Amino acid sequence: MGNKIKSFFTEIKTHWNTPAEGKYVPYKEYKDVVFAVGSNYAGAKTLEYIGFWSACYLIMHHYKLPYLTFSVIGILNMPLGYISALMWWFVCDNLGFLPKKTEKKFYAAYVGMMLFGISTILFDYSLLFNQSGAFITYLNGLEGMSATACFKTFGTHFLYTGWVGARNIFWRKKLLPKYGRYKYSLYCDVVPKCIMVILIGWLPVYNIPDVATRVWVANLLFATYNVFGFANNLETCTKSISPNLQERILVRSYPVKISHIFNSILAIILPAIIGSLRHEWADINMYRYVIPITFITFAALTMFFAGRIKERIPQPPVEKKVQIKFWDGMFGVLHNKYLLINTVVGLIDSLGNGMLPFVTILYFYTFRLSGLPYSLLVALISFAGTPPDLLSPYFLKRFSYKQIMIFYQLSRGIGNLIIAAAMWFCGENLVLCGTICVVVLFFMEMTKTVPTTAGHDMNVRIGDYQMYLSGERLESFAGVFGWFTGPITSFVGLIIPIFLLKYGFNSNWEVLFIDDSRRNIIVIPLIVDVIGFFLMTIPYLFWDYDSKKQNMVMEVLKRRAEVTERKAQEEGEKVSGGYLG
Amino acid sequence: MSKKEKKIKNQVEEPVHLDIPEDEIWTYQVEGLAAPHINKPYKNYTIKKIIFALVIIVAVSISCYFSVRTVQTETFEYKDTDTGYELSKFSNTGYIKELTIDFLSEVEYDRSNDDAETNFEIVKDESKRITSVGAYALNCDGTVRIINIGAGVDYVDPKAFYSCWALQQIEVDENNPNYCDVDGVLYNKDMTEVICYPCNHDQYLREKYGYEEEPYRADATEEYVKDIQTYVVPSTVKTIGQLCFNYANLRAIYLPEGLEKIETLGVFKLHEPKDQYSNTPSLESIYTYKTENEISDTHFTSEEVFTEVYSSLPDTLQYIGSDAFSYNQTLTYLYIPESVTYIGHHAFWDTVYKEDGSLLGVTQIFIEADEDSFNKNVKTGDQWRPQYDYMLFKKSVDMVFDSERAD
Repeated sequence: MGNKIKSFFTEIKTHWNTPAEGKYVPYKEYKDVVFAVGSNYAGAKTLEYIGFWSACYLIMHHYKLPYLTFSVIGILNMPLGYISALMWWFVCDNLGFLPKKTEKKFYAAYVGMMLFGISTILFDYSLLFNQSGAFITYLNGLEGMSATACFKTFGTHFLYTGWVGARNIFWRKKLLPKYGRYKYSLYCDVVPKCIMVILIGWLPVYNIPDVATRVWVANLLFATYNVFGFANNLETCTKSISPNLQERILVRSYPVKISHIFNSILAIILPAIIGSLRHEWADINMYRYVIPITFITFAALTMFFAGRIKERIPQPPVEKKVQIKFWDGMFGVLHNKYLLINTVVGLIDSLGNGMLPFVTILYFYTFRLSGLPYSLLVALISFAGTPPDLLSPYFLKRFSYKQIMIFYQLSRGIGNLIIAAAMWFCGENLVLCGTICVVVLFFMEMTKTVPTTAGHDMNVRIGDYQMYLSGERLESFAGVFGWFTGPITSFVGLIIPIFLLKYGFNSNWEVLFIDDSRRNIIVIPLIVDVIGFFLMTIPYLFWDYDSKKQNMVMEVLKRRAEVTERKAQEEGEKVSGGYLG
Repeated sequence: MSKKEKKIKNQVEEPVHLDIPEDEIWTYQVEGLAAPHINKPYKNYTIKKIIFALVIIVAVSISCYFSVRTVQTETFEYKDTDTGYELSKFSNTGYIKELTIDFLSEVEYDRSNDDAETNFEIVKDESKRITSVGAYALNCDGTVRIINIGAGVDYVDPKAFYSCWALQQIEVDENNPNYCDVDGVLYNKDMTEVICYPCNHDQYLREKYGYEEEPYRADATEEYVKDIQTYVVPSTVKTIGQLCFNYANLRAIYLPEGLEKIETLGVFKLHEPKDQYSNTPSLESIYTYKTENEISDTHFTSEEVFTEVYSSLPDTLQYIGSDAFSYNQTLTYLYIPESVTYIGHHAFWDTVYKEDGSLLGVTQIFIEADEDSFNKNVKTGDQWRPQYDYMLFKKSVDMVFDSERAD
């Protein structure tokens, strides 16, 4: 044992700056991965406190925007979303590298969108219409909106789409060759993102008295904030840190997992700091000081360490990557029965769309948690998923995907039903109701891990099946299902907000302090969600993709690789990365 | 082999070997799965493309249509009840500043007028009388300033006018047999219950007493506090209704001896502007007065009009609802008389806080009864006492039993 430890340290010392033979990553870079990914992940997680959604504490306590308004904005943005998705796909088909002429056309379109967007913000286009006409009176009657606000919100989406599209082409081309495909966006986004994080807390937009004006100005502010990203890029980067598969797994298993400890600590400390503010979660100083200081610290650390993480997998230049034809891809994925089943499941799942985050309500409005007790309870429930994760291989072997997923949906349904019953029948007995809810949430978190792992595993298998069907995995084309489900889910997603409005939930979250209102606001949508969970078991009854079929598919794929590689070698072509390698 | 063993055996991935001829690698169909479709043109390719595009266009159009219909709200929504109609939902067009609840109404627009503020009128059907106002009929409205309640309204839900931020006055028709108003504040007819003190009533009072601007907390004069931020609850009142004073801008409330109930969120989160960016808690004092004469003037002039005044809750109070005094951090003295038999959960939530290491607000609760009789006679909800940060956790403020009321 002693010798092993000694040799371990010797190994690290020897290869601290230069990797061992056959390896690519020196141990010093392992250390850098811990700090780089840790900072990046913690910074990105900190940003989850800021967002243009009703459950964001800033919106909840300060902006006080009507709940249904978010659905109205979604509807306003939907048609343009489809057009911009088409353009986006065209850019993605070419991975950002467009022929000069096409690039110019795209720039023109994006700049045109931006100019139109800016013009809607500067001028009130609603004045072009008859103020007594049905169109304007309809817009004025939308929850939290006015005709002016509708036009400005519509224009903001144009501005956002144009701005993001143009930046995407510009910065990809400029920075991607220097910083690689995963890190480049950090370099162009980090400074404006920090500025926006500060502005969001300090601009007193939430003090605008007129709700419709507050809505469109907030929408503009958050759209500008969203133009600049700060995702977990460096963790993605570690996927290509080494061409050596074992080494890659090692990096992703240890330094990356260890790096998440930064966020785990932050997740306990941050609520404790917020809890010490005078008005706790409702204190604006949370957004003026706590979030910006935390984010900027981690953003600075991220940028300091980002340069030390390298992408090492030789990949064809992005501009050379061959893409499958648009329509072939579309029809290819539409033939995949299992993607269809997943789509139906997703459609049924949309029954719960528009629901308030009931766990948050439970913590804040029923139990009035804040500070360390809140952090610890959240940490305890999150931890519940860890032990079953270790048993995932056993469960995946012992039970079929169909069984696991049906159990998953049933466990969610039953769990939520128990919570709904507890809140309905003993909502005023905080100790009893709280104990039941926490135990059920703990159980639900425990039973989530294995299905999640099974889901990830099955996604890979579905990709294999798609490969068998179409000769390509067609991963990006799987998004086409969203085109069909999007309109339905956006409509279904209105059901719960309409219910909530009926029960008194609008822009003032403090209605949740009224016991009978809180009960209706939580329990009724929860029951709709429960119905969804039970219905979601039905599509899985038709799931017949088992291990035997997967093995046969893999046999076909292997045989294809074997034959094509041999043929290529016979024809004197160079083969890389195939079945035989 | 047991059933369990069989099941496990079925799940285990068994190695398979398929003998696939070289010329069938792209067409070989695995049993139970669809046949591959590689490097082959699709049948009816163009028709399929058209169908695909049409389905998307139709789906988006239908979704937009139904979504638009769903979020469309009528300005006035009513429910037919046994006694007449209930106003169940009012969605402001953005320009309705005065609302009269008496008969079924709808908005009619004047097509020739292009001014959005004046191009409409509210048309009433006088054959259809409104008899009740439902919960959340007005919810978070930021425009309506005056609500007139007609003679025929016999029930107003306590949550009917929730968070109407601009609401200054509620006026009741004098012929209404169930309700009345006292200077813009809603009461039941015999004035035993105060039902709704409008959120922005202080604006009405400022106009009435000639104050042009709303001062920040630090700038309020003694006279301003007396005229605008002090309220005398009439001597006949026995109940402070649910949500009655929520979000009001008051620093002092004079309660009558004889008051028995303070309902849920009755005196919830009173506040005033701290600066141009934020509000701060306002309620500093609760007083109880005794009087020999009936007092119906809600404007505070001086304590001399009362026979006797003492601090905190009345000796006749029996019921304190949940969250009744929550978030009033400027309240400093709280005395619970022996008459109290019920205190709801979180009744005094967040009325204490720490600043610069000092504990401020309601730092102790003084109780008239001794510990045994309090525990025996008073039913208390969870966390009824305020809590403050203590060693990274929360601690409830102390109770001082057997206390005498402070002057």
